[in-house]
Amino acid sequence: MASDTTVKTKLGEYLVKGDRLYTKTDEWLLIENSTITIGITDYAQKKLKYIVNVELPEAGHKVKKGEPAATLESVKSVADVYAPVDGEIIEANEDLIDAPETINKDPYGNGWLFKVKASENIDESEFLTPEQYAEKIRKEET
Amino acid sequence: MDLQRELGGNLGEFAGWITSMDYGNPVEEHVHTRTSVTVFDVSHMGRYIIRGDKIYEFFQKVVSKDLRKFKEGHMSGPVLLLNEEGGIKDDIMLYYLKDDEWLAVVNAPNVVSDREWLIQLRDRLGFSNSDVEIDDVTGKTTLIAVQGPKAPEIMDALKAPEDIKKLEILQFLPNAEVLGKEATLISRSGWTGEEVRSYGFEIWTDVNHGREIFKKAVESGAKPAGLIARDSLRLEMGYLLVGEDMGESTNPIEARYWLPLTLGKTDCIGCDKVMKYYEEGVSRFRVGFKFKKGDRSIPRHGSKIFAGGKEVGYVTSGTYSPMLKRSIGMGYVKTTHAYIGFKLQVEVRGRLHEAKISEFPLI
Repeated sequence: MASDTTVKTKLGEYLVKGDRLYTKTDEWLLIENSTITIGITDYAQKKLKYIVNVELPEAGHKVKKGEPAATLESVKSVADVYAPVDGEIIEANEDLIDAPETINKDPYGNGWLFKVKASENIDESEFLTPEQYAEKIRKEET
Repeated sequence: MDLQRELGGNLGEFAGWITSMDYGNPVEEHVHTRTSVTVFDVSHMGRYIIRGDKIYEFFQKVVSKDLRKFKEGHMSGPVLLLNEEGGIKDDIMLYYLKDDEWLAVVNAPNVVSDREWLIQLRDRLGFSNSDVEIDDVTGKTTLIAVQGPKAPEIMDALKAPEDIKKLEILQFLPNAEVLGKEATLISRSGWTGEEVRSYGFEIWTDVNHGREIFKKAVESGAKPAGLIARDSLRLEMGYLLVGEDMGESTNPIEARYWLPLTLGKTDCIGCDKVMKYYEEGVSRFRVGFKFKKGDRSIPRHGSKIFAGGKEVGYVTSGTYSPMLKRSIGMGYVKTTHAYIGFKLQVEVRGRLHEAKISEFPLI
């Protein structure tokens, strides 16, 4: 397993965990068989800043790959979180509703957003490795 | 502005100014202003020096409020520049330094247009350049606001005169010494609500002195705060922002902006129209509203307001209130639905949220 990296750019420092995969839209994915746990990255939470509101999908809700499944809101901006695969929501992190700032404090842990059960086999090569994601951040901030 | 960056400011643009939107956490900055003390650089606000022999006569004909009781060492409170239709061009603050010298603070987006309008009126109303001369000193000066219950402690650390603690709201001390140097003035004011609820001071001085003051305030324990916190603080109080909550097509009666009005004042630009709106009534009123506790979806400028299936208004400003732990806002609704306590629905991203019309301040 790859180790964690801290990406340092002119604009900030961002943790990229080595134990998971990433999307181009700044979600992280922990894949266990056909279930994926999804959250946003340290980079994404630092860009959004202080999150005051989170709208989560309900269990049983069907999602489509690339479509918004959750919405995060900071005082001045709104961001969608996309479903990485077609599938069904099996759980959402309800603790965030009263404490959305958990996403800022612990984006890779208690700040997880929802779990989705993929309806087809997951093709891991579609996602970014930690190295690729770190490279994406560097590119965006140079 | 480099200092703001040095102190961790996240810069953004407002009215052509590069200024700090926040210093990392606007919600904490907001709470800190209410419970402790913060310092804001509000130098983006427009500032004029007004000199001449007929300043009073001129402004008495131009602004919405009767200035007869306005006296030396005091600020006017917000007064309106109205157009001929009684629409709101700007709300500005006048400072009575002496009979032949006043100062004015105007909103950042209007710094050029207000001055042009005032000069146009000066000529039209038959005043000369020596009667009223308006000098825009925005770029040469700074305005630093120290706001919150612990503001007096920061003012002590800034070695401000003891006398400022005796200032009433909207009173100022001219030529006040701060950190061993003379500032133009220190006033008991602000736009956060703390100037009324606890303490708020604003220091008007030159650019380098302002920089020193800001830095020293932060070193002495004031948390630096940016425009986002300033916006949520003023919204909790129900203060209107020109361009968002009022403008040339809004009149002060429907905006329920009573503070800068002297009803029945005649012989001033737009005042007759204001009286007409008052007497004849208006079709919409500005109201404040609160979402249900825990509902943190933020209504934005333009969000629609419904009563059941019927659209009855729109939002002009919204934010998350850290003090109420819910979203709040203000907007215009039909006068038939503008009752305190009345429940309406506000649309945020396609979903309706229950909103209760509430009196200002919302906290």
